[in-house]
Amino acid sequence: MSSQSLYPEGPELEAFVKRRRRLGVVWRSLFLLATTVGVIVLMVLLLTIINDSFGYVALEYKVAPEKMVLAWFEKVMLNAPGVETFEDYDDLAAQIAARDDAVGYLSHAYYQAHADELRLAPIDGVAPDAETVANGSYLLTRPLYIYTSLEALRERGATAAFVGYYLYHVSETIEQVGYFPAPDDAIAQAQRDWREATGLTPETLAENMATSGRVAASGGAAVAPITLAMAEQMQREGFEIEVSVSEKGAAAGFEDFCLGQADVVNAGRAIAFDEEALCRSNRITPVSFQVGLDGMAVVVSRSNHFVDGFTLEELQYALSTAPRWSDVRANWPDKPLLRFIPAPESAAFEVFIDAAFGLEPASHHERVLSALLVDNLPVGVVRRLNREKPLDQRSHDELYQLVVERIIEPTIVQTWSLLESIFEKETIEAAVAQTPRARLEFRSWVNKDFLTSPQSSQPELAGIRTAILGSLWVVLITLLFSVPVGVGAAIYLEEYGSGRWLDQLIETNINNLAGVPSIIYGMLGLAVFVRALEPLTSGQVFGLVDPTTANGRTILSAGLTLGLLILPIIIINAREAIRAVPRAFREASYGLGATKWQTIWYHVLPNAIPGILTGSILAISRAFGETAPLVVVGASTAIFMDPSGPFSKFTTLPIQIYQWTARPQEAFHNLAAATIIVLLTLLLLLNAAAVILRNRHQRSY
Amino acid sequence: MSAKPATNGKYAIEAHNLNVFYGDFQAVRDVNLRIEKNKITALIGPSGCGKSTVLRSFNRMNDLIPTARVHGQVRFHGKNIYDPDVDPVLVRRRIGMVFQKPNPFPKSIYENVAWGAKINGFKGDLDQLVEESLRAAALWDEVKNKLDASGYSLSGGQQQRLCIARAIAVKPDIILMDEPASALDPIATLRIEDLMIELAKNYTIIVVTHNMQQAARVSDYTAFFTVTPDRTGYLEEFGPTSELFTMPKSKVTEDYITGRFG
Ligand SMILES: Nc1ncnc2c1ncn2[C@@H]1O[C@H](COP(=O)(O)OP(=O)(O)OP(=O)(O)O)[C@@H](O)[C@H]1O
Ligand SMILES: [Mg+2]
Repeated sequence: MSSQSLYPEGPELEAFVKRRRRLGVVWRSLFLLATTVGVIVLMVLLLTIINDSFGYVALEYKVAPEKMVLAWFEKVMLNAPGVETFEDYDDLAAQIAARDDAVGYLSHAYYQAHADELRLAPIDGVAPDAETVANGSYLLTRPLYIYTSLEALRERGATAAFVGYYLYHVSETIEQVGYFPAPDDAIAQAQRDWREATGLTPETLAENMATSGRVAASGGAAVAPITLAMAEQMQREGFEIEVSVSEKGAAAGFEDFCLGQADVVNAGRAIAFDEEALCRSNRITPVSFQVGLDGMAVVVSRSNHFVDGFTLEELQYALSTAPRWSDVRANWPDKPLLRFIPAPESAAFEVFIDAAFGLEPASHHERVLSALLVDNLPVGVVRRLNREKPLDQRSHDELYQLVVERIIEPTIVQTWSLLESIFEKETIEAAVAQTPRARLEFRSWVNKDFLTSPQSSQPELAGIRTAILGSLWVVLITLLFSVPVGVGAAIYLEEYGSGRWLDQLIETNINNLAGVPSIIYGMLGLAVFVRALEPLTSGQVFGLVDPTTANGRTILSAGLTLGLLILPIIIINAREAIRAVPRAFREASYGLGATKWQTIWYHVLPNAIPGILTGSILAISRAFGETAPLVVVGASTAIFMDPSGPFSKFTTLPIQIYQWTARPQEAFHNLAAATIIVLLTLLLLLNAAAVILRNRHQRSY
Repeated sequence: MSAKPATNGKYAIEAHNLNVFYGDFQAVRDVNLRIEKNKITALIGPSGCGKSTVLRSFNRMNDLIPTARVHGQVRFHGKNIYDPDVDPVLVRRRIGMVFQKPNPFPKSIYENVAWGAKINGFKGDLDQLVEESLRAAALWDEVKNKLDASGYSLSGGQQQRLCIARAIAVKPDIILMDEPASALDPIATLRIEDLMIELAKNYTIIVVTHNMQQAARVSDYTAFFTVTPDRTGYLEEFGPTSELFTMPKSKVTEDYITGRFG
């Protein structure tokens, strides 16, 4: 028979090849489909977790943290010797000018107006000028705003026109007043907002010069000169609008405004949270426009010949409590130091404290935190805290924790997912506006506090330090137990196992054990480690723990249970790795007269180690994510103390996730999602370590 | 090699009624063979006739194969190495082996040569031993500047010479070579052959080869193996190479060496 008749030829061959190829295409599509489904499922899972880990939170603080800090500094500063506060900047300037032992600070416009009698003191060598203010390198830089309401912009033609004129001309004029122009993008943004709110443009504005009416401006003295200048300029150009400006401080200005008694607020600071709440409760929607920048000037009299500037530290001391000039800098005269500063209600005061000291409680020294506790808590509570552990011996973290827990007392009113936060921002803001005390915060639930705070029953204070430490401890025990035992068993079975019935039985058993559900290991752990070996696993026989409270539900029991759980996996992987060592190495080794153990030790193990490590790391990451057996072995639901060793009670990350997910409050679900992110990150790191190890030890044989 | 222990006369190793089984399968039957000292003995024969099996039974390498069983005797220094009181490690210490496929350890060239010495309690100067062994294996000039490089950075022929250097570093009495040049090109093959002739001055060499010319060129004695119809190998003819190749006693041998076999 010729071969032609045995194989397809010609068109038949082509059709045959095509058919085979089509089959390949079908399989490929199926694999692609499976992969796609897998990837989509994974993405959806990840998105859900991320969706829950970020988003808006409505928080209520019993005491607003920045107000608390401000109040404390106000008290400290006003109680210091030689302090005098002024509502009127001209007055303030005149008083400083009159005394060579006084120092103070004031808005740049007023410094400029009194430049002939005042001398400016640079801070850390930086003086306010167009450049240092624009790039923010000057410490006491602040934005200057005017506020008006959305309602006024829409309904009151005079206000709309005045604000529009203001925004389109302020940058030309502001330097004559003594301030610095706002950044271009801020001005552009302000102009855009105005156009959108009013539906007007600069051109329509010019056409409607006949618009007449009154605009009442209230607020602080800092911005007032700009507003006045703009009003005059507008009138000169022929507009019929009358602008009245009253100077009573930003706080009072906002109050007028929120009560509907002013159309425009001159403000040297942004509207405060409670002010905004007041406005909203009166159906006034404040809109802010940045109009310029101020570089508040620290000044002394021209008759003062020794001050040439301050370092930040000197400035902090000089403007808070330093009694004498020589205390600030040793070679300055030994005479009392007088502080002339803007009134505590003014925006300048608050901005100064914020810039020079900071309004975040966490950024302050232990001393300040203790003082905050003493000032804000009832005497009895302070005394009790001191009894537990004197405040001055507590760490910064402990004190801050107390400040948050006892004074600020944040409570989460409501939380929103990331998607809601992005797409339903307005609804959320409206909802929050209903509850006047609540403030909206965009929060990443995974944050430093979350990682470092211990467990807590309050979601806003809860962290996962306890769980992270618990997980690490448990995994450490698991590792110490299962890796040596597993690798040893693998060596025995691979190298010494003779294939007798006992070895075969063990082998079959191990393969089956790898498939046993983890909960069963939990029950085994409960029976063996927690109950039967209790004296051992509780640490009692070592005399390390208090026998009355000791029980077997410890890190040791958990670690050993998980160790048993992953032992089969480690053994199977290690055997695989040992088996993969080329036979040729063993033969070469034996051929040189090496013993079995020398062969194993010098050739088999070194070449199997990358594989053993990879397998062990993957097994360990399984243990890391295991939940069910730990629930059975008795992970604690609520422990607030960090685990300190193998005999501590414990909780782990997956347990924490499990417990938080089971809670009804929404905030705990966010915490659970954040914990999942932490867990996944740690697992990813473990797997990356496995990959790196494998690649690093890749052999060339 | 006067330092070596006295041996029983003329022969380095002797097989008496050697039968090797893999499970139930008998691989070789009734092999009787006496290998002379400081000579090169070639084992030739068709594939599957049991050459490797016989060679490996000379230093108890077959112990590594769980199913392998050896009956009969292999006498080395007058003692049967399969006696229960004989430690195979000691046997292999004296009878080294070079394999068909070069198998350096995944270590440096230096370590490859030095490792055997280290585990066998070598007390002399390691550096010197390494140099000496590499010189004896005709590899020294090629690697003297890269002793720290991996054994796997060498060419196939160099790797095989490294394995020979490794084998002779522990100063065995006998070196078993299983087709040491089968993976090499003609030039490298010739180098290995020259090397074997050089080594024969100090060592007894038993080499398995499929290359008739090679057997004819290098060996002093040749053993021709072949198989029975049930695939069991046996020794058909053994004698000085010159005789066996020029006037074989057996018809089967003649057919094989003249290329008329199977
Ligand atoms: N590990 C083993 N298990 C079972 N049978 C084996 C084993 N090794 C070899 N054999 C068998 O023993 C017989 C002899 O094999 P051996 O390897 O000794 O032949 P050889 O003469 O070296 O062949 P080649 O020239 O192809 O290397 C063959 O039939 C082979 O199938
Ligand atoms: Mg062979």
